[in-house]
Amino acid sequence: MRAQRVAWLAAVLAGCVDRATAPGVCPTFCPSGRIDVVDTVLAASIGRDSTFRGYVLPFQAVAMTASDVPGAVDSRVVFVTQALPASVALNTADTTTSPLVGSDSAKITLTVTRRDTSAHDQTLRLYGLPVTIDSNTTFADVQGAFAGAPLRTVNLDSLLAKPNGVDVTTGDSAGIDTTSKQLKVTIKLDSLQAPYVVGDTGKLGIGVRVGGAGPTSIAFCSRENACGATVAWYIKVDSIKGTDTTLIHKPFPRGSIFDTFLFDPPPAPPDSTLAVGGAPSARSIMRITLPRAIRDSSQIVRATLLLVPAVPARGAPVDSFVVEAHTVAADFGAKSPLVLDATRTDTTTIHVGATDTLRVEVTNLVQFWAADSTRPEVLMLRSQVEAAQPTEIRFYPSAATLFRPALRITYARRFPFGQP
Amino acid sequence: MLSACPPVRLSAQDSQFGIRGLGTPGRFETVRVRSTGGAFGPFDALSPLTEASLGDLQGLAATAMGGTSYRDVDAAAGATTSLRATRFPVMVLAGPVFGRLVLSGGFTTYLDRTWDVTLRDSLLVRGTMLPYVDELSSDGGVTDLRFAAAWRVSRRLALGAAVHVLSGSTREAAARTFDDTTYHALKQSDETRYDGLGVSGSLLIDPLPELRLSLFARSDNRLRARLGDVVTAQTDLPNTFGGGLRWAPSPSVRLAGTVTRRTWADAGPGAFNTVNWSAGLEVGAGFSPLRVGVRGGQLPFGPGATAATEVGFAAGTGRAFARGRAIVDGSLEHLRRTGAGLSERVWSFLLGFTVRP
Repeated sequence: MRAQRVAWLAAVLAGCVDRATAPGVCPTFCPSGRIDVVDTVLAASIGRDSTFRGYVLPFQAVAMTASDVPGAVDSRVVFVTQALPASVALNTADTTTSPLVGSDSAKITLTVTRRDTSAHDQTLRLYGLPVTIDSNTTFADVQGAFAGAPLRTVNLDSLLAKPNGVDVTTGDSAGIDTTSKQLKVTIKLDSLQAPYVVGDTGKLGIGVRVGGAGPTSIAFCSRENACGATVAWYIKVDSIKGTDTTLIHKPFPRGSIFDTFLFDPPPAPPDSTLAVGGAPSARSIMRITLPRAIRDSSQIVRATLLLVPAVPARGAPVDSFVVEAHTVAADFGAKSPLVLDATRTDTTTIHVGATDTLRVEVTNLVQFWAADSTRPEVLMLRSQVEAAQPTEIRFYPSAATLFRPALRITYARRFPFGQP
Repeated sequence: MLSACPPVRLSAQDSQFGIRGLGTPGRFETVRVRSTGGAFGPFDALSPLTEASLGDLQGLAATAMGGTSYRDVDAAAGATTSLRATRFPVMVLAGPVFGRLVLSGGFTTYLDRTWDVTLRDSLLVRGTMLPYVDELSSDGGVTDLRFAAAWRVSRRLALGAAVHVLSGSTREAAARTFDDTTYHALKQSDETRYDGLGVSGSLLIDPLPELRLSLFARSDNRLRARLGDVVTAQTDLPNTFGGGLRWAPSPSVRLAGTVTRRTWADAGPGAFNTVNWSAGLEVGAGFSPLRVGVRGGQLPFGPGATAATEVGFAAGTGRAFARGRAIVDGSLEHLRRTGAGLSERVWSFLLGFTVRP
């Protein structure tokens, strides 16, 4: 009896649910109104565009790029490690400390964020540099230090091919870190390659070059990204037992206090083009004027920013980079604060060497402007990883009539509701 | 069952034939009349078709009805779609106030504008063909709010008149989804409001004790559609003329026939004048009468050079409770509509409640 009641109630409720959707038999049995989609290129809607440089400097970047592309770019990574204390306690219970008298060896660990997997025989060469390098150091300043013989040369491909990525002969290793999922390369230096210099308080200046069978590039994580180069010292201390010294077998870790990358040729000076990327990073700002008919009375289906490169992006083929298109919270020119919202950010990838018209899908941004008319219709282009590599792209500005930036918009006009 | 159904929409039976026009006209009939194919419409006091029949009411009465329709749409291409809709199209309250004067108020569906169609097509954008799916929908309709009065002039004559306020709205939406998700899906919607006015009059004549004649006419001015404060369309509405004859050879047998003509062609291109007829039989004067009827005629909107047609049959019964103070009527109706390129088959289950406190 109860089951019958439940079945009856289910039947009643099922009957209450409308099923009204039917395939249209058009045009005879369809509404007279149609969704009208229009595609148009707004050639003159972008103006008052300009480029500003210096938002992020190379030593502030979250990554550092070493490249070897003859004729295009030569980029090298440099860093300085932290100082060592003058003396250490041999045992945790010791109340006295023993002075450092030298090093036995050191292991330098580099975190690779991007690697040219298509390159063959990719090698890393470590050079000793003065510990005085800082943000004012130029490529030419360290040219002499890089001219000598490297401290160590490591073939990454060979190292990765070894069992567990460990070279038992040299003490080098390479492998994917289980926590960060990034490739970590550890290179061992002996006491001559990594000497303990009392005058430098144990700091090490290291330069890294990359090489390979052809043009290649590699990017390392930086201290700004909390994964910069580290050094694990194996040090010797005065045991205070005559002239004997004691080797500290446990690693004595030290991070880096400064890291950056230096490259040649330096960034081209600003000109009339719109630049994006590079180091220091450059951003381009564009003011867009959407026709009121589109902004107020239509629905944006797709919007594409068309940019014509003035020169192809230079660098290693693997140095393709992502350009982000942001809108701004307020238009203060170069200092306009970006709206950093993933749903209101559009991106595209810049391929090195390409000269094709670049298309950036900016549908999210244009829809954002259409939804809120108080928002400034300002577009800011920047590299996704600013100042992390020397590669930059330059576009023709709005002043270049034939190649000016344009906005291609596909939109739907207002549907003619209220018509029989 | 009516109270269990949550969507309270004042709509009648939908039809694909109404999509291209003003909508699907409602039926000014209670369940009792629907059971007879509409033939007893001019003679049923609680059916909003005519007013003069209100003169037969002896006391306060109220009625409401609901129903669920199961509709199969057969397109010329061979595709069949099954649709379902639940509606509450009629509610009437009536009663005598001063002697022979009877007043009535209530609502009926005048035009149903509920439909939802999907289209598969493609268009050329940026040099490539872009497939997409459109969904166009409308939900709502136009309701006829009727204020009627009837006067039993004599034992053989009753007169009636009514004012009709047409009011309603539809929630309309248009959505498009592209196969290529680079193109964002779009959806637009708006609410269209409708208004209009109409007057009607009718009379009942009993030339013989067992014979009753009904004549009725109605004129509606125009239907105005507004989006906000902007008038988007103004469409002339039809005049209605009709007559009915009821013969009661015995107290327990009644036969009736009705013909109605409506000048829907005034609504513009794609609309046709319609003539609808019905014939019905009611057997039993007690608490459980049996009713059957047939109906036929034309639909006002549709493609082609001639109007789409409609034929159907219905059967039903009722049950009185509490010495006739509460009546439950049930009906089963089948319709077949045929027009250029499309046909529909509709089964409707109708349930009505009438209370006479």
